[in-house]
Amino acid sequence: MSPVPLQKEPTIIHPRPSSIVAALYTLRDLDVDVVILHGPPGCSFKHARLLEEDGLRVVTTALDESGFVFGGHDQLVKLLEKVIEKFDPKRIGIVGTCASMIIGEELHEAVLEVNPDVPVIEVEVHAGYPNNTKGVIITLESALSAGILSEEEFQRQKVLLEKATEVEKRHGAASKEYLEPSRGDTKYTVAKRIIELLKAGKKGLNILNAKKETGYMFADINAAVNQVAKELGSTSEIINMANLDENLGLDRVKSHARNINRDLQKMGIEVHEIIGGLDEYPVAGELVNRLIAEKYSDFDFAVITGVPHAIPMDNLQGMEVISVTNGPRQVLPLKEMGHEYVVVEIDLHPKTLGVSSIVESEFGATLRELAREEGT
Amino acid sequence: MKQIAIYGKGGIGKSSTASNVAAACADEGYKVTIVGCDPKSDSSITLLRGERIPTVMELMQQGFEISEEDVVFEGYKGVKCVEVGGPEPGIGCAGRGIIVAIKMLQKKSSVMADSDLIIYDVPGDIVCGGFAAPIRKGLVNDTYVLTSGEYMPLYAANNICKGFSRLGNHLNGVICNSRNAENEEAIVKAFAQELGSELLAFIPKDPIVQTCERAGYSVIEKQPDSEIAGVYRKLARSIMDGISSCKPQPLTDARLRELTG
Repeated sequence: MSPVPLQKEPTIIHPRPSSIVAALYTLRDLDVDVVILHGPPGCSFKHARLLEEDGLRVVTTALDESGFVFGGHDQLVKLLEKVIEKFDPKRIGIVGTCASMIIGEELHEAVLEVNPDVPVIEVEVHAGYPNNTKGVIITLESALSAGILSEEEFQRQKVLLEKATEVEKRHGAASKEYLEPSRGDTKYTVAKRIIELLKAGKKGLNILNAKKETGYMFADINAAVNQVAKELGSTSEIINMANLDENLGLDRVKSHARNINRDLQKMGIEVHEIIGGLDEYPVAGELVNRLIAEKYSDFDFAVITGVPHAIPMDNLQGMEVISVTNGPRQVLPLKEMGHEYVVVEIDLHPKTLGVSSIVESEFGATLRELAREEGT
Repeated sequence: MKQIAIYGKGGIGKSSTASNVAAACADEGYKVTIVGCDPKSDSSITLLRGERIPTVMELMQQGFEISEEDVVFEGYKGVKCVEVGGPEPGIGCAGRGIIVAIKMLQKKSSVMADSDLIIYDVPGDIVCGGFAAPIRKGLVNDTYVLTSGEYMPLYAANNICKGFSRLGNHLNGVICNSRNAENEEAIVKAFAQELGSELLAFIPKDPIVQTCERAGYSVIEKQPDSEIAGVYRKLARSIMDGISSCKPQPLTDARLRELTG
């Protein structure tokens, strides 16, 4: 039998999310306290610093030229010992980098030598994978073998990751050879349009389909739509859908859903349809699609926040679609899908790390301010 | 299951030894797999009647999703042959190639799980992490060092033993592939003893090996009754029976020079 050629994919020439970074985020989701990046000091620096805002310690063995030539085993052993002494962590992660993986560094040998009495998740990963979800899968596999993840949850995560990759290839940042970053439509213009629709009593679907902690800010936009409708005395029927199931995903992800639900409840906002957990953004769209066909096909417009490109267009065709993303490279694909307006919340992710309650968004603030002006 | 690797200086005869040992074990009814890690792909070619098989790395380079059937080929008396392959000289990184291919095999090795003996024919010397991958990834439990009685191959063999002690790996024996050096057997015997190991086999220099190789055969297959075939058979038996292993004590360079006079 001859080998089966892989399906030819378009070569994406803009830098893609890194599997090393994906591993860091996954270790955070697994409630690891300290991660050692085994490699050069500059590797993944921006995300490493960002994650420190989220309570995760990220340190590096800082391999230099001589480390690349002679290996970095001793540096890793020393740093592992230091990390244990300094932070007294309950869970440790060690993440490979391109440099250390190419020279064949053995993370496990260092762990054996130090022999810590807490679990260590060793992630042999580099950034040379076309899909960054590979970094998540490798991390989850290591967590599985370290005994801190159930087989059932592992399989569930794997399916979600495959779906996430599909979504990115169909309408996301992995769909085009090169995507020009764009800031999308101005928040003022789009906020004005939403107010017009509400004033005209149009029926609106208000959908949150966010990825994990980004939900803390995207939910603010969905909240603003409800508040503004109320303030304007709109007769619009607004149906809120959100992927805020509190019983699905890793513990950390469940707690994000609980926090956001709690805040929405405080604002008196009812979520009419729970469309999945905060890690189910790649699959929640299928349920949304079905719900629209069954119950909401006569609605006039939809506001979709988070990962709008994961919601199929089949049943949104007749509606005016307004979407909010945090990816400047997502504007063009969303316009091509047929979204009338696309808003970009540019610094969303850094602002949603290390928080446990809803964070104000620029678009939400714009909507509220414009509505207040309308009211006076 | 026995999983062995034969290390030694480039060009010293690792691949001939590996393929003849594989063939001899197959003759005795063992199920054998040979994994050639040298970019030359020459450890399997004499088991496959001179035919070159696609290598793991070339299939990966072309973007193929590899399954076991694509890279495992059956040769002499059912010996399963795999070639890792690697980059052209002067480009890329052969060590990384070995790491990647070994990981791939580790994931998809149901055929190999069925073997009584797996031989890793690893390149030249442990010069980087990649070349040590079969040992480090737990795919090898017995290791052998091949040398002649000349200074350079002994230097390489000694260096490899330094690598073994660093990796916490044991040495199961020294094999001498004769280059007709003066006093050769005694030198290698002394070398092996000073390491703490033993000389397992002395393979005489015999043109039959080259003749068979050129024709695309192992000695075991083409000249089964030759004296050298007998030497390979005896070596194969001691590998299959072998239990002795040592933590090698590498010699000083001065002592090596003294030995080779």
